Amino acid sequence: MQLAGFLDSRMILHEQRALDLDTIYQELVELICRYHKLPVSCPELMRLVRQREEQSRTAYPSGIGIPHVRLEGLDDTLIAMSFLQDPVPSEEIKVSWVVMIITDKSSSNTYLNIVSALLKMSRDPELMEELRQQNDGHGVVQVVKQHGIEVKKEVCIGDIMTPSPISVSPDTLLSKLSLIMSNKEISMVPVTDEKGRYLGEVNVLNLLKVGVPDYLMMIDNLNFLLSFEPLEHLFETMDVATVGEIMETEEPVLHPKASIVETVALMIRHRKSFVSIVDEGKLVGVITATDILHKVITV
Amino acid sequence: MYLMILALAIFIITYVLIITEWINKMLAAMIGGFALILTGILQQPEAFSAVDWNVIFFLIGMMLVISVLKDTGLFMYMAIKTAKLARGKPLLIMIYMFVITAVVSAFLGSVTTIMILVPILLLITEELKISPVPFIITMVVASNIGGAATMIGDPPNIIIGSATNLTFIDFLLNLTPPAIITTVFSCGLIWLMYRKGMRVSTENRARLLSYKEDNLIKSRKKLAIALGVLFLMLVGLALQSVLGIQTATISMSAGLLLLAISSRKKVEHVLTNDVDWVTIFFFIGLFIIVESLVKTGFINMLANGVVELTQGRAKETSLAILWLSGVFSAFIDNVPFVAAMIPVIEHIGEVAKQITDINPLWWSLALGTCLGGNGTLIGASANIVAVGIAKHNGYHIRFRDFTKVSAVFTLLSLVICTFYILLRYF
Repeated sequence: MQLAGFLDSRMILHEQRALDLDTIYQELVELICRYHKLPVSCPELMRLVRQREEQSRTAYPSGIGIPHVRLEGLDDTLIAMSFLQDPVPSEEIKVSWVVMIITDKSSSNTYLNIVSALLKMSRDPELMEELRQQNDGHGVVQVVKQHGIEVKKEVCIGDIMTPSPISVSPDTLLSKLSLIMSNKEISMVPVTDEKGRYLGEVNVLNLLKVGVPDYLMMIDNLNFLLSFEPLEHLFETMDVATVGEIMETEEPVLHPKASIVETVALMIRHRKSFVSIVDEGKLVGVITATDILHKVITV
Repeated sequence: MYLMILALAIFIITYVLIITEWINKMLAAMIGGFALILTGILQQPEAFSAVDWNVIFFLIGMMLVISVLKDTGLFMYMAIKTAKLARGKPLLIMIYMFVITAVVSAFLGSVTTIMILVPILLLITEELKISPVPFIITMVVASNIGGAATMIGDPPNIIIGSATNLTFIDFLLNLTPPAIITTVFSCGLIWLMYRKGMRVSTENRARLLSYKEDNLIKSRKKLAIALGVLFLMLVGLALQSVLGIQTATISMSAGLLLLAISSRKKVEHVLTNDVDWVTIFFFIGLFIIVESLVKTGFINMLANGVVELTQGRAKETSLAILWLSGVFSAFIDNVPFVAAMIPVIEHIGEVAKQITDINPLWWSLALGTCLGGNGTLIGASANIVAVGIAKHNGYHIRFRDFTKVSAVFTLLSLVICTFYILLRYF
């Protein structure tokens, strides 16, 4: 399927004014309501867009925002978009392209595939520039058609992973690792060598384990201990120990071509909420269970 | 004759594999056992009926009982309470822990006891900022002495109890006294060896005294049930001859009862994690291997040799068995040793006309194998387990360092047992 087939040139804007996201959404919703008969009223659709926006973020690092609503009984997929002259900040991301997608309640697969195609486009700066240069929606549809952008049948994990994630090397000191983990609010960091080859991963429990000796793990009930010095003084030892000493090297990894169901099954089976994505020995991304929840399940 | 040599070859290869641990010892014993059936030395029915199912089920039953007992937190409670009673003084802690380890081992077996108590000991010594190594070595020694005290303590005693018609009470009357005497003398030896050099600051002592060990007993009801069933099991074992029930049935009844009352929601967890199937199958393999030596006549030959050497005199035979098994057990796992020695002693009983009472031979074997386990680092499973735990926590106990201490205790205990056997039986 061609992505161009889903586009309607009347619902594509090039916004010159500096507006906030809510106003942009309002414009797109009005466009959709003008050209399509919906099972709900226009204000109701706007309310649903806002509600969805509150549930989870819809902006992606490549600068695309994809607000999305599923409507009972729509039986169609409607796409309205706006290219913004002035990028709008949403959390830490500057959004310069807003694509609103309205789908039927039952068509999450099509939606995911469209998102994946859009994400791929948003990561191609030349294509994005070409799209911005167009004067109207018709031109945008033509460019999309010329580039033959396809909506794939199946989404793979490479489409929704976080590409080029933060990684550490085996020589990284634990003190630095703990800074990375707390600053970036991540609980797993892949370990790579200087050439970006995947070596293993280190998670926050590996780090805490440094302060919990083996014998404590053999005592199955620790409720008699009110405090334990080595754990409380963990940070003193973190300036000498390195990631290489505590990292996991046998953790399962996935190829970017892996399917979502494969990923979810692996996460459940190994009780992992983070998986490194490795292609030909190189670390190419990270996928978290929360990513899947945000980008696949609660769409 | 040709079959005997083949059987002996399989036996020796298997034992070398067990001792050197080139492959897992259970795997070695099972391969050896089935190789004997494959080569036709034993028929399959012969091999299977050689397995002492009383021992196998007794072990499984005990493992079930222990899995519930150790969940109650009682033993950790005892260990911490003891350390507090010693007011954090290292020498007192060492002596108290020695006694506690010996007592607990007499009921739970040495390996389980070590697995419960050594982690606690590591915690205590960490808080006190002293080296755990002398504590670990003396606790291992205590566990092997304690295991010798009862029929249910260490596997060699379980096997001897099952192979003979000696009862739980017989073991209590004959083996508990030397075990107690040995413990007392060993505590004296600890005092001599370690009375100097262990200092602890008041602050570190205070940390230990702040433990809330009462929290360890999670459920008083569960503890009461577990102790109640343990008590019933011990009564059952004591009245074994009156009741006419075999030991395996008693321990399985206790184990299954506890499983049904306390752990019925996690039966599969208990069966996969708390029953040590590796040990069970190791025993099965050993029984088959030893049977091949009996069948091919090697055991008879060996027994005749011993009788000839000691001229069939009871006293000399007893002491020879005590010291031989003491020395052998110091270097090889005592279970395969006992498994092979049992038919030897049975045969000695048959051929040596002068020996009217064969029981001192059994007591010598039990004491020699259990206490000999202390001879070196590789003498008993408890030693290896304890050193393994220490290693995981950054303390490398070398063969020489362990043996230097443990051999002294072994020598002391074997000398005590020599006097005990001479004074009591001859």
